[in-house]
Order: sequence, then C-alpha cells, then structure tokens
Amino acid sequence: MSDAIVERDRALFGPLSETGRGFYLTVGVLGLAILWGAIAYAVQWSEGLGVTGLHQPVSWGFYVTNFVFFIGISHAGTLISAILRLSKAEWRRPITRMAEVITVMVLFIGAGQILVDLGRPDRMMNVIQYGRYQSPLLWDATSISAYLTASTFYLYLPLIPDIAILRDHLGKRRWLYAVLALGWRGTERQWKILNRAIAIMAVLVIPIAVSVHTVVSFVFSMTIQPMWHSTIFGPYFVAGAIFSGIAAIIVAMGIIRRIYRLQSYLKPIHFRYLGQLLLVMTLLWFYLTFAEYLTGYYGNEPEEMKVFWSKFTGPFWPFFWAMVVANFVIPMVLLVRLRHHAVGKTVVASAFVVVGMWLERFIIVVPTLSNPRLPFPEGQYWPTWIEWGELAASFGVFILFYVLFVKLFPIISIWEIQEGRDVGLKEVEERLLTYLPDGAADAAMPEREKVLT
Amino acid sequence: MALWGMVIDLDRCTGCQACVMACKAENNVPAVGPKEAARGRIISWMHVLREESEERTRFLPRPCLQCDDPPCTKVCPVYATYRNPEGIVAQIHARCIGCRFCMAACPYNAKYFNWLRYQKEGPGQNPDVSVRPKGVVEKCTFCHHRLQKARERARAEGRDLVAGDYVTACAEACPTRAITFGDLLDEGSEVARLARSPRAFRLGEELGTRPKVFYLAEMEGHRRV
Amino acid sequence: MNEPESAFDRSVRRTQWVLAGLAVLFVTGIVTWIAHLIRTAWRLGDVLSASIGISLVAIPVFLTLGGVIVYVFVGLLTDRSAR
Repeated sequence: MSDAIVERDRALFGPLSETGRGFYLTVGVLGLAILWGAIAYAVQWSEGLGVTGLHQPVSWGFYVTNFVFFIGISHAGTLISAILRLSKAEWRRPITRMAEVITVMVLFIGAGQILVDLGRPDRMMNVIQYGRYQSPLLWDATSISAYLTASTFYLYLPLIPDIAILRDHLGKRRWLYAVLALGWRGTERQWKILNRAIAIMAVLVIPIAVSVHTVVSFVFSMTIQPMWHSTIFGPYFVAGAIFSGIAAIIVAMGIIRRIYRLQSYLKPIHFRYLGQLLLVMTLLWFYLTFAEYLTGYYGNEPEEMKVFWSKFTGPFWPFFWAMVVANFVIPMVLLVRLRHHAVGKTVVASAFVVVGMWLERFIIVVPTLSNPRLPFPEGQYWPTWIEWGELAASFGVFILFYVLFVKLFPIISIWEIQEGRDVGLKEVEERLLTYLPDGAADAAMPEREKVLT
Repeated sequence: MALWGMVIDLDRCTGCQACVMACKAENNVPAVGPKEAARGRIISWMHVLREESEERTRFLPRPCLQCDDPPCTKVCPVYATYRNPEGIVAQIHARCIGCRFCMAACPYNAKYFNWLRYQKEGPGQNPDVSVRPKGVVEKCTFCHHRLQKARERARAEGRDLVAGDYVTACAEACPTRAITFGDLLDEGSEVARLARSPRAFRLGEELGTRPKVFYLAEMEGHRRV
Repeated sequence: MNEPESAFDRSVRRTQWVLAGLAVLFVTGIVTWIAHLIRTAWRLGDVLSASIGISLVAIPVFLTLGGVIVYVFVGLLTDRSAR
C-alpha cells in the first residue's frame, strides 16, 4: 500500500489530522450546554422532580417528549443506511457512516431521558432485577438494547477497513487503531467475512429498528387514554421517526460539508436524492396525521374531542400549527423543486422538520395528560429552567459525541468511496446490462432460467 | 376471600370534605403547602370533584376506584403496583422507581406523585402508615392497614372477621353516611345490596376497568328506605 | 508478517480478545436477564405469557446478534491467510 490512498482522499483525513480553533470553540460551547444540564440534574437529584414544571395531571413532559424524539432521530441512520445498502444505491457511499453515527449517539441520549425522568433514579436497577414484561417500558428496554447493540456493531463493521487505513497511514493513536482494526489486512477471507456480516446486519437491523419505534408508541397506545389509544400509533411513530431521522442526516451532512470542506464528496445530487426521500416522508407523515385526526374528529367522542380541540384551537394551538407548518407546509414548498439550490433548500427544510417533529412528540405527550376524563382542572404545563437545561444538554452531548467521532474516525467511509471508484462503476454497468432485454449478460444467464421461461 | 368495595350515595353527599380530611389524617397524606398547591401538586387520595352548573352544584367524591382490571398495574415496570387477592390495588413505595407510567395510564387520575420531599416522619402521624419519600407514587389503599389490624384483633379474639370490623377512614368520617364500605362478595352486606341497586353506576364503566367503587345516582326526592 | 510479536502487538492482540469476550459477555448477560424476568414472572404468577411471548422473539434476536459478533471477531482475529 502506498500513500496514494491518502493522497487521493486527502480531504477525508483532514478532520483527523488537523484540529483548528473552531473545534475548541465548539467543544467549549457544547461544554457550557452540558454544564447547564449537569447542574440542573444535580438540583433535580437532590430536590426531586418538583423542580420541573410537571404536576398532577401532566405527569410526563419534556423528558418523555425528548425520549420519543431522540429515539425517533435514531432511525436515521441505521435504517436508511441499511435500506440504501440493500438496494445497492451507489450514491449511499458518502452518507451511510454519517447516518449510522447519528443512530448510535442518539440512542444513548434517548435512553438516558428515561433515567432523567425517573423520580427515583437510585432505584434504576429495579428494572433489571424486578422487571415485568407486561409493561411496555420493558418492551422498550429490550428493543432499544437490541437496536443499540445491532447499530453499534453495524457502525463498527464498515469502520474496520478504514481503521486499518488509519493504523497504517495516520501515525497517530496507533494503539487504538491497531486494536479496533482487529488485525485487518484486507485478505480475501477477511473481506468475505466482513461483507457477509454487513449483509446480515443490514437485514437484521431493519426489523429491529421498526420494532423500536413501534414499542415506543406502545407506551402511549397501550393505555386507554384519549388520543393515545390508537391502533395507528405504531406505524405513525415509525414513519415520523424515519422522517425526523432523514432530516437529521441532511442537517448533519450540510454542516459537515461546510465545516470540513467536503463539497466534492457530498454533492448537490446527494441532497437532492435525500430531499426527495424527505418529501415522500413529508407526504406520508401528513397522510398518517390526517388519518389519525380525522378518525378522532369524525367519531366525535367527547373525551377525544376535548384533547382534539385543545390541540386545534385550545392552549396547544401554537404548538400544533407550528408543527403542521414545520413538518408539512415548509418542506412541501422547499422540496417540490430541487433542481437549483438543492443543498440550501433541503438543509433548511430539514432543520424545520427536526423542530416540527419535536413539536409533534410534545403535542402527542402533553395534551392528552392535560385533559383528564374526570372534571379536574385542566393542567397547564410549562417547563422550568431545569427541563430546558436537560434539553440543551441532550443536544450538547449529541453534538459533542458527533464532533469527537469525526476527530477520531473518518466520517465518510474511505474504503467505500474507493470501492465505488474501483469496483462500483463496473458493477453498475454490468448490473444495468442485465436489466436490459438485449444485454450482454443474456449469454451468461444460467440454463435453468431459460428452461423456465 | 373477600372483595372489598365501596358505595357512595351522591344524594347524600354534601361536599363537606370530611372524608378528605379524615383520609389525610389517617394515611399521613402530606399537606404540600400553598406554593406547591398553586402548581397543581395537591395530594388527595380522596378527592371531592365539583361540577357546577346553573341549576346546582354536584359533588363526586373520588377515592382510588380499586379497579378489578386496573390499567395502572399492567403498565408498572417493576411490580410496584398490583391488585392484591382481595381486590385492593396496592402500591409498594419501597419498590417504585417513580416513572409515573401508572399515573399516565389511570383514567381516573387517582395516583399521586411525591414531586418533592413533602414530609418527614414526626409526631402526630399515624404510625400504621409509612411516610412516603420523594419521587414515588402513592394512592388510596382502602386504608389497608385497618384491614390488617382488624384481622389481628379478630384472630386474638378467636373469631372470624365480621362486617363492620374493617371500615375505611372516609366511610367512618362521613357525617351523612354517604359512604358504605364492606365485602362485595358477602351477599347479605349493606355494600353488596347497595351495589345492586338500580341507582348504582360506576365511573367510566365503558372502559372495562370494573371499579369496585359504586356510586348511587342522584334522584331528587329519593329517600333510602 | 512472520516477525516475532513485539510487546505492542501482544498488547493489541490481548485487548482485541478481551473486547471479543466483553461482547459475548454482554449478549449472554442480556439473554440471562430475559430468562431471569421469565423466572420472576413465574414466581409471582405475573402474566407469564407476556414474558414468554416476548422472549420467544427477543432471545433469538440477541443470539443472532451474538453469533454475528463472534463470527466477525473470531474470523478476523484468527485469519492467517495470505493477501
């Protein structure tokens, strides 16, 4: 191996070898956000959950919203990357790693929200020791740990050849890279093992990902509360999760492309394709939202309608309508035509979708609890600085982990880009030929198939 | 085996809150103070709901309805709340992790959370009932400690538990005797008789939770024979 | 590649096997935990069907994950073939 590898994709090694002022500045700012959250949590630990804005009917608020939101974002990665890998979409190459990293980071943060939400975090181990599978919370625990294991491993597998490149060429952190490269030398047998494992994981990770947000929705839909007890919630949450996940990838791509000057790797075409995917998800999200709310409205059950109107015209209207604008109106306007300014348009639309999906989770969790069935006074929930602190720290930790990952590992898969150049081009041509009626591949077709037709 | 239940006659209820106070004293339910109360964090295992209309004001005392098919116990991740063999929905404060899933699942809002540490153990409290720490859920238990005491007394006297041995604090305190308490399986008991009354209904019956607290509907001019 | 192993290589190799061991331990731990939950439900008479139903799906998933992890770790670490 020569240094041609490094020379050719020099831009990808940039973040690993050089550290600028911007890095320390970012880490400093994120550190402040995390500090805010840490102080808030220390106060909450010693005083109790009373320091939040939660109260009698609204016993779940920001933390549970964040839980659903972050777990939703986690669908970005692994799911998208697995689907693109399985469908042999060649344009996936610079994107998959970025997406997979989001999944792993955000899953930790999502699961952490539940711990922050506990009244007695010191008794956390009760869930392990005395857990009972009738509770949807245990379904979440199981499903999320499966997803975390699978997606961490799925992130790690395609990293191995890249880590080996770093071990041989970077000259920094050699021990770390040597350990993580698992003795990778790129032998034929090693490639076979790696490719087979990636293929298995790509298939395995899809049903696990779907199960995760399905059981997250079951936390709500298994109760008999108005506007929670809905059969559509499983698919609705999964669709929303993929929706917010794609948006998160696009935002991350936009930022990384700019900061690390990777314009030649993350091209407008990638944004256009992902933008189209986002547009499809916008429409799907709108369709499911429409189906969900129309069913409630038409049925006109008094308990459902109390919650319904509190969202449409009641105290929650600003959140509800902001959600509709951010999740549907803006993406529709921006994404319908992507021929020009694809990057800017998709990034802006995605930023709105991320906010909109957070609002969607909020608008699902809180209004139902605010409107009890019995004539209790309506609950007005507003978070305190403690909850804002946890929100800020959650984003802070997520971005910090991401930034650190970019410092330690190539955020765009080096070997997959090289494989695209060396093998992908030819493979695509050959594959294309097999699609065509008069392709050259006809001659190579197995006898059996000819007999069948 | 008994199945403990309650009947509350809405015709008799005057909304005097005696049951609420009796419950608080009996079960060491903390007074959270005006600041916390303004934040909507009052703990009141027995709560008198009020519905005001132009013609009249109606009262509805609501303890935990002790559902026979409780939505709250199903969702508990750690077995901190469960339906005991005699139908009482129990809460184990020492086990509860404070996730508040049971509060979100209860259609009657009968579960309460200790948002802060509202009280310490001290004089003037009922020694039979534990003082709850911060961060756990608590609820009406039909004064379960009274059942334990009544059982012990009956055993010491070498007899069976009879009707009237075990009554909740709210039923005992009600000046208009609107609350009747007893064993629903004991056909001859007052509570079983009233629960079969044509006036009897249960809250949210359509939810399938099968509460063991029955209400007798208001009927103007109605007098119990 | 046939030179005697240096101290660096030895520590790397040892850590790699420790990592593999930890991964196996993690998956075994989760499977044991799920089994423990079934036992708890059995002893408390607490909706055994839910525990068994979920474990029927969850345990094979974790075992498959564990299998793939072992396959990769062992396969890559023991590879002695030439390039």
